[in-house]
Amino acid sequence: MSDPTDPIDPFPTQAHPPVSPFPPLDEPVAADPSSDWIGAADAHDLPTRENALVALGRFAFPPAPALDEEGEASRARRWTSQTLFVACAFLMIFNAESLQNWARQQPPGWGQSTVDKLATVWVDQLALLGANLPVDGLRDAWRDAQAVQFDGAAEDRS
Amino acid sequence: MLFPTLAFAVFFLFVYLVSWSLDRENGRRKLFLLLASWFFYAQWDWRFVGLLIASAVLNWGVAALIVRSDQEKRRKLWVGLGVAANLVILGFFKYYGFFVEQVVDLLSQFGWERDLPLLQVVLPVGISFFTFQGVSYVVDVYRGKTAPAESLLDVMLLMSFFPHLVAGPIVRASDLLPQFARVPRLTREMATHGLLLIVWGLFKKTVIASELATRLVDPVFFDPSAYGAIDIAAAVYAYAVQIYCDFSAYSDMAIGIAALLGYSFPRNFDQPYRAASMQAFWRRWHISLSSWLRDYLYVPLGGGRKGLWSSCLNVMITMLLGGLWHGAAWTFVAWGALHGGAQVVERLGRALVKDRKVIPTWLGVLITFHVVCLGWILFRAETFDLAMQMLAGLGRFEGFSLVTPFVLVLIVGGLAMHWLPPRAVEGLVERLKTAPSPTLGVLIGAAILLVEAMRPEGVAPFIYFQF
Repeated sequence: MSDPTDPIDPFPTQAHPPVSPFPPLDEPVAADPSSDWIGAADAHDLPTRENALVALGRFAFPPAPALDEEGEASRARRWTSQTLFVACAFLMIFNAESLQNWARQQPPGWGQSTVDKLATVWVDQLALLGANLPVDGLRDAWRDAQAVQFDGAAEDRS
Repeated sequence: MLFPTLAFAVFFLFVYLVSWSLDRENGRRKLFLLLASWFFYAQWDWRFVGLLIASAVLNWGVAALIVRSDQEKRRKLWVGLGVAANLVILGFFKYYGFFVEQVVDLLSQFGWERDLPLLQVVLPVGISFFTFQGVSYVVDVYRGKTAPAESLLDVMLLMSFFPHLVAGPIVRASDLLPQFARVPRLTREMATHGLLLIVWGLFKKTVIASELATRLVDPVFFDPSAYGAIDIAAAVYAYAVQIYCDFSAYSDMAIGIAALLGYSFPRNFDQPYRAASMQAFWRRWHISLSSWLRDYLYVPLGGGRKGLWSSCLNVMITMLLGGLWHGAAWTFVAWGALHGGAQVVERLGRALVKDRKVIPTWLGVLITFHVVCLGWILFRAETFDLAMQMLAGLGRFEGFSLVTPFVLVLIVGGLAMHWLPPRAVEGLVERLKTAPSPTLGVLIGAAILLVEAMRPEGVAPFIYFQF
């Protein structure tokens, strides 16, 4: 068996742990303090100097305070009303014919004839722009689907 | 004034704008909604607005007397009188002619011909719904389940509120009165939910239900002898889809309209043809009626407290009366008997196998659906003769004339919607509620345009209006 400290033995055959140059500890070492490293931190989040114009803007137009319950409800009502308005406008353009049909089903009178005439002009003008084409196309396709029959279907006997 | 009409759309937009412009004063807002509801009801027959008012005054008065009485005996007397008065109103308008006819028939069988006073009583639209609401209010106040309304205005609005007035859902006082206590708060979620339910209801009613009714159901049920088994079977399945799409569409639109005005109504349908038993079916179909029957009829009769046979008897009585509630005809009683009988068989079967699961769920769904379809034949047929002709026709194998690919797609589509995710609309609401208003407006407009392109001319009244 070779001796690793033997300077004469150039190829030691058994590994030995190196001898520590420090004396053994008598007391256990205290654990490291917990890290203050924030994993999700981004260098861009670090405070920087605020743009002077932005600061001035904030001073001149301070942000509104958070909405209370009534404020939220009021905003929701406005949003709903806008949604309804857009939907109605959309239908007035692309489904103008239904207004005309409805007017023609009402009992005759001054109001009915006024609405009918206005609706007729409205429908004709929109037809010039082709606003009736989507609904007419859909209706034709739907009617074609309705007309398909099975082979061997008999005539209706009712 | 039907929901899927332009006249109603104009009416609703007016009510929406004015009611929210009155949001600073709850009393005025409720008064406006009440007047709008009476106007809506008067479009059918203005004379019955008086009946609506009288019924509300009656229930408000009885509830006040119950609250003021300190003796239990007197409270019982008032609640009994209140329930009886409601039933007298319902009985006179809905069942007078029916019972007089039965009495005349019975007497003539004993050779005792008598001319009893037959009256042509016009049935007020929605009377079954608002009288049941009145009964539930009086009984709930008696039981202490709900506080009496703050004012007569609240009771009047509870019973007359136009979204649920003519065909439900039966909204109880405990659901609606607390909402009347202050001006409701509209949220984006409520508004989106309301809009989607209205569009979905329009599609179900005006496309699926109307097309199936005109192309298949009405001709076959009118003269079953002219059709073979395929047409008749298809018509029965089509009617199952039609009545679901018709009635659930009304409920969806009612819930949606109320939501846009800031009020929340309970859900009335929950994919009923998915039910694997008749008991489960009634937990999913017309939930507001089935829970009403459970709380105000089945439970007071004794429910399941006195053992199996007693519970079977109580179910049978409840379903028979539930059938009669739908209409004054023996076919409706037979329909109720079929549902009651099927539930009794289920209860006995469960007791026999000690609640073990003996058939797979899919088979339970299939059997339940076909029992329900059998019931729909009785429900839809004008007479027993026609119902028997429908059943006899199911054995007559010959060609078909009314079944087309289009009709089949509607039937399959109407059934397939039961296997959508159970809260599909709510899921869509979560996605759409954050959309900008122009985007949602265009989407809603495009969806209505699509429905408009597909719907047939004209709109038939909802099936449940007759009840």
